[in-house]
Formats: sequence, C-alpha cells, structure tokens
Amino acid sequence: MEAKYDFERKYREQILQCSRCGFCQSVCPVYGATLRPALNARGKMLLLKEVMDGKIELGKELIDSLFQCTTCASCANNCPSGVNVPEIIKQVRKDMVNIGSCHPAFAGMNEVLQKSTNIYAEDELPDFDRKRDQKAAYVYFIGCVGAYREDEATEGALDLLDRLSVDYTLISEVCCSGVLEDVGYSLNPKLASQNLERIFATGAKTVITGCPYCYRTFTHRQEYDELRKRGITVLHISQFLKDLDFGVTTDKKVTYHDPCDLGRHCGIYEEPRATIRKIAPDFVEMQHHHADSLCCGAGGGVRGAYAKNSLAMARRRLKEAEDTGAEILLTECNSCVHNLANAKLRKQNIKIYNTTAFINELMTKKVRNK
Amino acid sequence: MEIQGYTLPDELYYEENHYWVKEEGDLLVMGMDDFAQKMAGEIVFVQLPEEGKELTAGKKFAKIESGKWLGKVFAPVNGELAAVNEELETNPGLINSDCYGKGWIYKIKPSDKGEVANLIHGKEAVEKWVLAEIEKYAKE
Amino acid sequence: MDEKLKNGLIGIVGAENYSEDLIDMVSYSYDASQHSARPLCVVWPQNAEQVSRLMVFANETHVPVIPRGAGTGLSGMAVPIKGGIVLDLSHMNKILMISIEDRLVIVEPGVVYANLEKGLAAYGFFFPPDPASGKVSTLGGNVATNAGGVKGAKYGTTRDYVLALQVVLPDGRVMRTGSRAMKSVSGYDLTRLFVGSEGTLGVVTEITLKINPRPTATSTASATFGNLEDAGRAVSQIMHSGIIPSVLEILGKETILAINKNTDLNLPEVEAMLLAETDGYTKGETEYQMAKVTEVFARNNALEIKQAKSDEEAINLWKARKSAYAVLARIKTHFVLEDVTVPMGKVADLLKGIEAISRKHDIQIATFGHAGDGNLHPQILYDGYNPEDVKKMEAASADLFALAISLHGTLTGEHGIGLSKAPFMTLEHDPAAMNVMRSLKRMFDPNNILNPGKMALDDAGGPASEPGIHG
Repeated sequence: MEAKYDFERKYREQILQCSRCGFCQSVCPVYGATLRPALNARGKMLLLKEVMDGKIELGKELIDSLFQCTTCASCANNCPSGVNVPEIIKQVRKDMVNIGSCHPAFAGMNEVLQKSTNIYAEDELPDFDRKRDQKAAYVYFIGCVGAYREDEATEGALDLLDRLSVDYTLISEVCCSGVLEDVGYSLNPKLASQNLERIFATGAKTVITGCPYCYRTFTHRQEYDELRKRGITVLHISQFLKDLDFGVTTDKKVTYHDPCDLGRHCGIYEEPRATIRKIAPDFVEMQHHHADSLCCGAGGGVRGAYAKNSLAMARRRLKEAEDTGAEILLTECNSCVHNLANAKLRKQNIKIYNTTAFINELMTKKVRNK
Repeated sequence: MEIQGYTLPDELYYEENHYWVKEEGDLLVMGMDDFAQKMAGEIVFVQLPEEGKELTAGKKFAKIESGKWLGKVFAPVNGELAAVNEELETNPGLINSDCYGKGWIYKIKPSDKGEVANLIHGKEAVEKWVLAEIEKYAKE
Repeated sequence: MDEKLKNGLIGIVGAENYSEDLIDMVSYSYDASQHSARPLCVVWPQNAEQVSRLMVFANETHVPVIPRGAGTGLSGMAVPIKGGIVLDLSHMNKILMISIEDRLVIVEPGVVYANLEKGLAAYGFFFPPDPASGKVSTLGGNVATNAGGVKGAKYGTTRDYVLALQVVLPDGRVMRTGSRAMKSVSGYDLTRLFVGSEGTLGVVTEITLKINPRPTATSTASATFGNLEDAGRAVSQIMHSGIIPSVLEILGKETILAINKNTDLNLPEVEAMLLAETDGYTKGETEYQMAKVTEVFARNNALEIKQAKSDEEAINLWKARKSAYAVLARIKTHFVLEDVTVPMGKVADLLKGIEAISRKHDIQIATFGHAGDGNLHPQILYDGYNPEDVKKMEAASADLFALAISLHGTLTGEHGIGLSKAPFMTLEHDPAAMNVMRSLKRMFDPNNILNPGKMALDDAGGPASEPGIHG
C-alpha cells in the first residue's frame, strides 16, 4: 500500500514497534492530568496505526489527541520499544496542517510569523529600558515568552546580568521560530536569518538565551548553523551562570523543576543545579527530576490550545514541589515559570521564580540591607 | 443596552480597556465587559493579586489571559484592592459565561468614590464609545 | 449511537464522564495483546454507586459492559470484542485507608500499583505481587487478573493478599465479600472467586489488601550454564534447599543473543543464565541464603557465578533481565508474550520443548521468566503483516500450550485467558470444570452483559445455550 502521509513514510516502522504495553501512561503529563488514555503516547500511536491500516482517516476528529501533546519526551524516554513519539507527533501535525486539519489555535500561525515578528502577533518588542543592537561581548536573546508574557522574569534576568557587569546587548530579536516545528509548520528561514544578522552585527562571540527552546533551536537546527561556523557559542543562561559567584544565599528550602527543553531535549541537568546549590544550601529534589522530570504542561502548543488541561498539568507539578516542603520553586524557562505561576492557587505559599530572577532578588535585598 | 450583539448594562461605568465598574456599598466591583470577553475568547487565567494592593488610576495591576491574548488590567480609580473572586482561580471561564455576575473579578476600596465620574457612563456615551471600538477592531 | 443509551449513561455519570469520540473509541479498542474491537462508548464512573446504577441500566438494556483498568493486559481481556460500554475505573483512584496496625490497605480499583507502593514505602511496608507493568497497572486490574510478578515464588500472587472486596454484580447489587481479619473460614470464599475472574462476574469497586513489612536488605547473584538440564536442576534444587529466594529469574539463549545484539552488555552466549535475589532484614541473613543458592549453582556445573558486592553491582547484574522485554520488543513488528507455567521440576523440560517448537515452526522464540515459580515467558517474535508468520505464530502458541499441559502445568501463570487463550481452555479444564465455570457465569450474569466473549464462558453459543457443548 502506498504511504499517504509523510509521517507514514518516515516513521511507519517505529509506530508499528509500539507494543501497546502502556508504560508511557505512567509518565505522560497529559494522561496524568486527564486520565484519558486516548491522549497518552499509546493512544496516539494507535490512532496512527489505524490511519496507516486504512481503518480511520487522518482528520479533525483526531485533533484533540494528536495536538494535545507537550512533546515533553517522557514517553520516548521510558518506551521499551524505543518509539520516538515527539518526532512522530511533530511530523503528523505537519501532515494535518497540509490536509487542513490543524488545531484552530495554530491555524494561520505560519502566516502570523510571516507578518509579525513574534508568536503572539504583538506589535512592539519591549526594550526593558535597555539599548538594543549595541556592540558587546554577549548577546542576550530573550525569546517570545520572556519578552511578551513574563516581563518580570526577564527584568530579573537582565538586572542580574547588569549586577554581574556582563557586557551584553539585547538585539531587535524576532521569534527563533523553532516552535513552529512543534505545531505543524516549519522553521521560518527568513526569521532565522534576521536573528543571525542582528547577532553578527553586535560582534558578540557568545549568545545567551533566556529560553530553553531558543537554545535548542540555535544549537540543533541547521538554519542556525552559521552561528557554529562563525565560532559563536550559544549558552542557555543556566550554563552561563554556573561558573559565577553571587555572594548571596538563602536559608529557604529550594527545589528545581527541569524544563523539558533544557533537560530531556538538551541534556542540561547539572548546570542549573550547580548554580542553585551555591545559593541554596537547603536544596531538595522533587519526586520526578532529571530525565524523569514531570512536564509543566506548557510545551508543544498545549498551553495555547488546551489551557485548562495545561494548567492542570502545572498543578500536578506544583503539588510535587509542595510535597518536598520547599518554599521556593526554581526553574529557568519562561514558559514553565508562566504556566506554573498561573497555576498556583492563592492558598499555595510556594514561590516560583526563574533562578536568575531569584538570585537577582537576593542580591537586591543584600544591597538594600547594607 | 445591546449594541451589535454586545450587552453593556446602562447602569455600569466603563473603563476604556473594557472593564466595568459598579458601586457596592463603600466598594467598587470590577469585571470584564461583554465586548472584551467575546474578543478575548475563552479566558484561561486571571491574576488575582493580594488584597491590600495599592492601585493607581490608569496603572496596570494584573493580567488576564485567554488562549490567544494577554490583557493588562488597569486600575479604574485610585484606591486599594479589597477583594478578589477566588472562584476564577479554578474556573476563569465564569468571565465568559457570566461577565457581569458570577464572573466579577475585583472589589476595590476607592480613595475617592467620586473618581468613577472619570469613567465612561450613560447610554449615549457608552454607545458612541462601543461603536467606535467595534469599528477599530474590525479594521485590525 | 443510540440516543436513549447515551442519555441514560450521561444521566448516571454526567456528560464530562462520557465519550464516544473516535479517539477514545480507538484507544479503548486495544490492550497490550494483539486483539482489538471497537466499543460503543466509554464511561468514567466516580464511585461505586454510579457503577451500580450503570450495571442496572446495562442489564436492563442488555448492552455489554467491559470493565477496564490501565489496559496493560496481554490476553485481550479488556478488549470489547462484543462492543458495548467500556467502564474505565481509573478515576476511582483513592487509597482509602492504610492501616499498619491491621496490616492492610483499602483502595479503590483505579489506584495504580506504583502509587500504592509509594504510599506504603513511607511506612516501611509493601504489597509484594509486582507485575512488570506495575508502574501503570491498576489494583482493580491486578485483582481481576490475579497479577503475579517476579516475586511469586516467595511471596505468591495478588490472590494471596486480597482479604475483602466490594463488588457490583451485573444486576447492580453491591456485595461485600471477606473481612478485615487475617483469617476467615466464614462461608464460601467469594473473594477468591472474583480474583482472576477477568471482569466476567462483577465489577470490583473496593479492595482490601494484606501488606507485608518491606525487607531492607538484599543479595544478588547470577550464574551461567552450558546446558538447560543443569540450569533446570539448579532451579529445582534451590527451591528445595530450604531457602526461598525472593527472585529467581532465567534468561534463555535466544534472549541472551538478542540482548547482546542490541545492547553493549556483552553477556556470555550460553544456554541459560539464572539470576537470584534473596531478601531479609540484615545483610547476614541475605548472604547466608545467597551462599546456599550459589552453592547449588556450583554443584550444577555453573560456568560462571557472579555475586554483587554493592548495590551498583546488583543493578548491573539485573540489567540483562530488565532489558529483555525492551530488546525483544524491538526485533519484529509484533510479538506474543506467553506465560506458560509448569511445576518447578519441569522448567528444563519446558525450556527444551520451547526450543523444539521454535525449530519445528521456524519462528523465533526468546524465553525469559520466573524460574522460581515455574512461570516462563516465551516471547514469539513475528511480523503481523505477514500472513505466513501469523500462521506460524498461532501454530507455535498451540504447541506451547499443549506442552505446558503435558508437563502438568497451566496455560497461563499470570496473564490470564482473555481472548488469546480462550480456545485452549478445554485443553486444561475437563468438561465438568468448564460446566461449573459456565454455570457460575450464568448465575452471576444471566444476560451475559459483563465482559462477554472471554474465557470461553459463552462461546458455546451464548448464555442461553446448554453447558458443556464446547468441552
């Protein structure tokens, strides 16, 4: 039988390799929040198998399963059969967009990024009262969530860089557009080259990203190969911080949430912890951490398309954080901070920060107390 | 009153970013108007700051988010936050289902109640304002 | 979809706990077996009262009801072969009580095994029967299938721990069986009747389980053997050496070769490998037991014996066994994981027989399993899209079952009958036994609405037919 879709051409063997053992159910954040097996990896692979077998049509009826995946990769990490679910999901979403069965939240997302410079179609990139596009040793690349949704977190990070006298500049950044790959489209090379041009113009040898997804895009995607060719290092801010001294500590109990894009997708687990251990002697891990970390629920477009379930996922993660007895939950991803903070109920006392913003707050207090 | 499918009760005061205000004893109750909740779509998150937060007229004090949009909430008057609708934490959709009733958002203790006079009020003024808004958003 | 049926169900569980969406219907068509069939709809009941009302309604309308836990079963027992309503019990997932004083727990059926374990670990207790799917499987499912696991030889299976049940009968009556007492000889053992009944007699809505203090020390060792007789004899000698290892696992040659091909574990490519764990409360205790085990290994011509000196070394020894399933799952597009079980003394015969069957049908069968309780997992690897391969697999399965029965064993040690082994029921059970089982089914479920089509209970022509015809 002739393969009808790209997902089939690329991943047929892998999809058939799913033995339906259901082990993914224990780690899938979407299942954890909904208890609906149609939404975990096994449910998705079964749908694709039936599409390939000609039993059902790839179409709108499948959207609520195939678009409800945070691409957190927990399933792939725990799959005895080695099925790389996030990659399959990304491909099938492209196929669905091609046949006009895209989730309405992402319909036209491609066009948004043809016209606009960011995923939210906001008009103006905030400058955070700083000059942009200067000559500097470092470029700080904020990312859309940090720029348009988590301004306080971003201010914290920038203030910290200032305090540490880092020679950095912001740029007139546009969306790295890596996220398009998650919701059925392809990275936009025009946006990539705009970012590259502006980075090169600063003369910086290092790009620091605030966003794990931008980091992932810059380091993994060929559209950004030019960075490597020119010997420009890309660091996520958590990597940049690990060798620095801050001269502050907190006596509060602290825990850390691994962002999926930083942890499972890029293998960055220890650098953020090295930094946190320096400032928080009373550091504890949650039940799920490192490669087993539980997704906050924001990724893969789920926050945009399925906000209610996305927040329910964040509430499960917050519960784990609270169960450690920690007063402070740190992470280093604006999407995670955004979703976790939104999910927090008023009666919950735990405070949620990016590590950068938290260190900045400690340093601000120290200066004030002097 | 109903304007092109949007309900805007006559007795309310309106802040220009589409939040309504009404008097309730010493306090002012505030919520999102029907035009805004329809434009925003399903509301998924409402920031509910601590009671006692100081408010400056015209200054942002909270955020509201729908699936496709992030809105800033500006203080309609000077004063302090007296109460918030905690129901919205787990059920922000109340703003969509009942924006003038169960979907109320904040209660404010105004420094000077008279400041409500600065808001849009009265059938004629509201109608003129909303029609202009409809036209503005239609262009976008 | 019949509107009356739909409205009736929504009236009981609420619209948010009802679905007939295609995505749900596809997902509830399957479990971990090769079978599939579409249900009409799914409901997610929240409590026993809703389950009871659902059963009354289904019984009146004669629509099949298929109770379901995590759907990790390997025999098709949760596959809605006659259509109907899937009753997904995973929303009823509260641990209702942990009583260390009475050494028991009371749980709802949707509690995941691993979550109970996590809850008990805090008290230094555990619930021993741990199926390989324990991270996902629900206790309701474990009870309905009498789940086993690697610790069967020492700790038994789920059956040995169920003290009491609350069951909703097919006509909607709610029945309590058993008590919280550790011993009870009061009337027929209705509790045990439901354990392993595969959701054909009633819907379990509350489970009282005995729990054990958690051993705090373990010792681990492995041994390789140049022939199956030596390995088999070692197994039975260990079991009558006076000690009972907490785990005694075997890997056959095909499995070892597959592991070597797909990992960098570099196992010696021998005929069989045994892995043993002893447990207790002091290192002295577990080492003493392990010395006896390794002595038996040596006496039976073990080629190489390794004993773990640290937790890390123990983890390394277990790596081979733990990787078996994942490795074998990747070799062909399809596999059937059997669980034939024989008396301990016949493990070597079973292993040799499996090899012969593999050669006879020219199909790859890799074996591993729980040697300590005679429960082996021959995994038949095949391409489900190749009709020739499917025929070979079916023929090999049939031979396997015949072999197990000829060795005085059973078709299934822990995976259950479901659909996969229903055609072979009469191989193991005589006409009188089949007759009694079918009579029991009809007495509990005269309209045959509860998980119909399973365990060869009604395939003699449905509920109205005379018993015994099939036998």
